[in-house]
Amino acid sequence: MVFTTAVNFIRSRGPDEFWRKRKIFKLAAHFQGRKRNCYSITIRYVHRALVYATKGRKLKKVDMANLWEQRILSGCEQHGVTYPLFKESLSRSGVMLNRKTLADLACWEPQSFKALTDIAQARAAQDGLNVSKSLEPPSGVVTRGMIK
Amino acid sequence: MSSLKRVQQWATFARIWHIYDASWQNPFQSAGLLKKYLMGTYKPIYHPLNDCGDHVVVINSGDIALPGDEWKKRVYFHHTGYPRGASWTLAWQLHKKDPTLVLKKAVYNSMDGNLQRRYTMERLHIYPDANVPADIMKNISNQLATPREVPKRLDHYSEKEVEEFPKIMDYPKNYILR
Repeated sequence: MVFTTAVNFIRSRGPDEFWRKRKIFKLAAHFQGRKRNCYSITIRYVHRALVYATKGRKLKKVDMANLWEQRILSGCEQHGVTYPLFKESLSRSGVMLNRKTLADLACWEPQSFKALTDIAQARAAQDGLNVSKSLEPPSGVVTRGMIK
Repeated sequence: MSSLKRVQQWATFARIWHIYDASWQNPFQSAGLLKKYLMGTYKPIYHPLNDCGDHVVVINSGDIALPGDEWKKRVYFHHTGYPRGASWTLAWQLHKKDPTLVLKKAVYNSMDGNLQRRYTMERLHIYPDANVPADIMKNISNQLATPREVPKRLDHYSEKEVEEFPKIMDYPKNYILR
């Protein structure tokens, strides 16, 4: 180790209590009050924080998935397609976009998303899916079934 | 940023004012609908940290219709915090006291309890009748579709319509209607 101060050099000699505690204190640097200053309290809260961090890695993915679902749902609602119908029609049409991409399109590319709902509606009308709310397929969409 | 993009940005993030006629509507069903507009979850740009909720002006909240015998059975609990401070108020009593409260509580309870809930509720304006202040009315640009059709009462039909209503048979002259 390279020590820039004499204080740290002295501390590096004896038992490593200081360094062991300092590792924990570093993790608690942003805590408030005695949680960051008193070791016996710090270690408890650092353990808890690490447990939260472990759980949070899973929850973050769940939260993002929920947000994507919400965005796709609102996008579908705007164009009068239900979410299950939208997914079913897209998979039947071979549009293999995941929910993240669909959500990004709904948020940032509303015109492209509308094109996808048009495809979904046309496919649903063609396959006779009775869940379709719209009465007639949108104009300007050509599916494989129409070409035959 | 070009001027077109700038206007697009304004149009995307502008708060919209919706109006909702609550007469003959189920407040608990309406709450789910209003929540969507208050929180902005109906927009594809929604994010919990994105302040994209709209204003909703609810009129005729005095004429809401509770399902079944909920007016008599639904109880609102309040506790003052002191011993024996608990009180239970029936829905019809609460409605008599303040005709906006049943709907307001329905919307409030339909949302998750987080720090944003009270600010979201600030965007809900409920009026017991159709008298809305002019400075609020001038903002409104959209009307929300009501989930239920308002039924027409028999005494609101004209006599001619009642007379001409098709019927299977006439009562006999000597039949006594109770």
